[in-house]
Amino acid sequence: MKQKYYPYIPVLLAYIVLFLIGKGVSGMWQLMSMLFFYCALGQAFNIFLGMTGYVDFGYVAFLGVGTYGMAITISKLSHIQGYGVLIIIAGFFLSMFMATLLSLAVGAVALRLRGAYFAIATIGVNEGFRFLIEGAKIWNGSEGIIFMSDLNRVIGSKTASSLCTFWADVFVVIIALLAAFVTLIYMRSKIGYALMALREDEDAAKVMGINVTKYKIIAFITSACFAGLLGASAWALKTPYVFPPEVFEIHYTVEAIIIVLLGGAGTLLGPIVGGLVYGLSKYYLSVIIPGFQLLIFAPIVIIIIILFPEGIIGMIKKGTKGKWIKRYIIY
Amino acid sequence: MKRANLLMVGVLALFLILGSVSISYAISKIVIGHPACLSGKYAKAGEQAIGGIKACINWVNDVYGGVKLNGKKVPLEYKYYDCESKKEVVTSLTGRLITVDRVNVVFAPYSSGLTLRGAPIAESHKMLYMDHGGANDKIFAQGFRYVVQTIGPASRYHEGTLDMIHKIDPSAKRVALAYEDSEFAKRVMEGAEKHAKALGFKIVFKRTYPKGVTDLTPLLSALKATRPDFILGGGHFEDGQLFTRQMADLDINVKALSLIASATLPAFYEALTVLAEGVMGPSHWEYGVKYSKAEAQKLGLPWIGPSQDEFVSLFKKAVGKDMIPDYHAAEAGAQVLAYIMAVERANSVDLDKVRAELGKLKFMSFYGGWDIDDTGLQVGHSMVDVQWQGGKRIIVWPEEAQTGKLYYPMPTFKEKAQGKKAIP
Amino acid sequence: MKSPLRGGCFLKGMHGMIGNQILGNLLQGVILGTVYGMATMGLSLIFGVLKVVNVGHGAFIMVGAYCALLFFNSLGLNPIFALPVAFFLGGILGLFFYYSAMQRLLKAPELSTLLATFSIGVLLEEVVKLIFGSEFRGYNWMVDKVDLGLTIIPYSKIYAFLGSILIALALYIWFNKTRAGSAVRSVVEDEEGARVCGVNVRSTYAFSFALGIAITVLSGVLLTMFIPVGINPYMGGGYTLKAFVIAVLGGLASPYGAFFGGLVFGLIENGSYTIFALIPGVEPFALTRFFSFVILLLILLLRPEGILSKR
Repeated sequence: MKQKYYPYIPVLLAYIVLFLIGKGVSGMWQLMSMLFFYCALGQAFNIFLGMTGYVDFGYVAFLGVGTYGMAITISKLSHIQGYGVLIIIAGFFLSMFMATLLSLAVGAVALRLRGAYFAIATIGVNEGFRFLIEGAKIWNGSEGIIFMSDLNRVIGSKTASSLCTFWADVFVVIIALLAAFVTLIYMRSKIGYALMALREDEDAAKVMGINVTKYKIIAFITSACFAGLLGASAWALKTPYVFPPEVFEIHYTVEAIIIVLLGGAGTLLGPIVGGLVYGLSKYYLSVIIPGFQLLIFAPIVIIIIILFPEGIIGMIKKGTKGKWIKRYIIY
Repeated sequence: MKRANLLMVGVLALFLILGSVSISYAISKIVIGHPACLSGKYAKAGEQAIGGIKACINWVNDVYGGVKLNGKKVPLEYKYYDCESKKEVVTSLTGRLITVDRVNVVFAPYSSGLTLRGAPIAESHKMLYMDHGGANDKIFAQGFRYVVQTIGPASRYHEGTLDMIHKIDPSAKRVALAYEDSEFAKRVMEGAEKHAKALGFKIVFKRTYPKGVTDLTPLLSALKATRPDFILGGGHFEDGQLFTRQMADLDINVKALSLIASATLPAFYEALTVLAEGVMGPSHWEYGVKYSKAEAQKLGLPWIGPSQDEFVSLFKKAVGKDMIPDYHAAEAGAQVLAYIMAVERANSVDLDKVRAELGKLKFMSFYGGWDIDDTGLQVGHSMVDVQWQGGKRIIVWPEEAQTGKLYYPMPTFKEKAQGKKAIP
Repeated sequence: MKSPLRGGCFLKGMHGMIGNQILGNLLQGVILGTVYGMATMGLSLIFGVLKVVNVGHGAFIMVGAYCALLFFNSLGLNPIFALPVAFFLGGILGLFFYYSAMQRLLKAPELSTLLATFSIGVLLEEVVKLIFGSEFRGYNWMVDKVDLGLTIIPYSKIYAFLGSILIALALYIWFNKTRAGSAVRSVVEDEEGARVCGVNVRSTYAFSFALGIAITVLSGVLLTMFIPVGINPYMGGGYTLKAFVIAVLGGLASPYGAFFGGLVFGLIENGSYTIFALIPGVEPFALTRFFSFVILLLILLLRPEGILSKR
């Protein structure tokens, strides 16, 4: 394996360890599945946020669109006999396709803007799209789609059951691994250097002749695609229903932001660390002090933003500058 | 000698086998698990539900003496966490309750969406999943085998109201439907529309509004122009208050107004004070319903559980405040009773046996009737219609459950502002 | 609503009805719009001076709403008395959050400030929930109504309308005619230049943030004069989103742009409802919201400094 791919090893290890804990220790699987989701979310979001510094406040729209893609495929094709798993795969393709379309539409509008304007424009897309679905009654409008029975018809209820409780999460892990891999490829390639330059100072990068727009779009679409796939697996396949207000809820974007920030924006391991720390603390806080987690969490987030804006991995990176660890493992 | 040894070993083995079998049957407690909504958008309903469950569990343990299982009386325990009204937390907590805490039954979190979220996990682990807060009928069309409903289905919420008006004022034919655009309220609207048409009403207005709407004036202006005789509507909590308030602002007067979910809660009157006079709402349960042991005997149904007043005082103790329980609390509490009845009849906590008993079970409690169909949908429980009269909630329909007469037509908002109360 | 595509007489009747309704809705929209605009001025002020988008905006409106609620229910005073208290409280909250958090984030990237303001909003929501519970509350201020034929408007809404205008006017005068106000304006336009001219930029930041929050909390009181029910800790979210659209309409950095943006927004929201209601098979309210976000995007694309600011 080429030296520049070494930093992928800790990523792989981390997920394998989590997977084993999940399967091995009784009762841990659902917790692991929540952690996988957060890590994958962070990984996908990091591709754009981490590398460009732009905050897509409407990110959850891509997850939503992905969920719909899978839901529509399953409910519309469920009457075709005998294709079973192929329908699920078709669902993934549709999710990716729809997410890409949406990201192109968003990108065309929003990527010309910067900073706060970009953030607001993306919220605009998120909310606008949601109200379009509800208002024009697209895909059943506000009633959403409940397709558990369709899923049962497609792959049989036993398989459907194990899909919802196990295989959906496996897909999430695969997506997370893919997203991490793509992040690494981007980081170590022209794209990464261009985006890093952009992140530091966009105008200077433009002056230097870097085609800022092209690279922004690539990162944006990639990030959106992964979000679509994530929505298809962690949401649609895990719970066979989709309601518009739920899949466009802003708090998921905020969680993604927290995870990336916590771990370290723009780093490879950051989203994993962020996802784990965030997921575990929320989980145990809600078990120990049910009802008060947010009250404790909110000020902690503020403190972290003020004192540790580079996140955990970011701090480690700074501390190990130049040493071998940085090049091979922490990235 | 050898044969004697063999015999001893055989007897010992037999004892060991019997012993382990009986140990595995010696259950010392039955645990109810619940990923409850303590915070987030369903916090209010979650708080009520937890209070109701605790009240009934305390009744079972202290008054009833425990669940009769294999000749012993086993106490009930309650394990609950905060799902923050969010779906991914529901799955992780449901999983934890089933696999780590090893509960015997999981009560679903409030709302149809979250109930659906936890259902596949419960199904795959073969865990009984009891639904006290998800009224969407479609949940039971999905082929789940272990989901059982205690709350009444959404489609029937407004049927009683229509029956009532049909009987009391046959001349009131024009009905306006204005519901929240969410899966639950839409089901209610569909059911209301169907029933209204069947009874010969004329639907002059049919519109929905989005969740979280802050200004209903355009919708209400259009509604006013259609001159309805009465209005059916609602969604969740805050929209009901807004709807009534803005009706008052626009001086829209109708003979009757019935809103789901929010109109029967105390907060409704607190927020609107006299403007709420005469407003009605369907409810699963309201303090004052006439369900009692005597009623049950008349109908030939078994009775179990605390009386209404006992429930209220147990509830207050459980939440530690002087708060009247609303129907969220009652339906959750009734679920506890349904469960233990089934367990006692099955004489086991084995899932399939309990589920089979639940299917056959028909009983009455302080909450009302209980009977489910093959899919798990609740069909034995009827809704009551409640009206605000003089600041109090009076049950006006059905006639068997009445605690007072209906005040009809509703006073105009002007009259209400001048202090007129809807007391017949 | 029946389709208007029927016979002639009916069409005329419908036209009359629709015409009346549109006018009525527009009037209501203007009134509500001024309150919305008032509520957004704080957001625009904070962005203009500190270049920070306060994503927790709605939570501060909620605080104002609770002020009005408590004043009415416990002290029996009508909400107009709550206005100065709300303003003062908002100022204190603003200073508190500025010195404890925002000051250190002045030069931070959007990632940090957006998340920080969001968390501040969440913190406020949870604290309010802890103290007051998650119940949906309201109060009933019984005042007369004005019947204009087209529509009916209670005096409380008129007070809210006049109040918003007066306060906006006061702010306008303050910004343009006082030294302190001019100092703030200069920082918005050109920070370096202002510093060179001797403006104490640091304290301007603190002051502007506090003022922005104070205006926002105050607007919460005005809002309850319009909608005195449904008050609960989580009510702010919807208003934050509306505020974004309005702020963009008026130019993110311009407080009085925000005010007029609110007016325009109110008109669009209510006016478009009647039009959408004519299309069968759709949900007009949701489409109205969709439409407002389309406008948001168009403005950001074509004229990001807002349609109401001078280029």
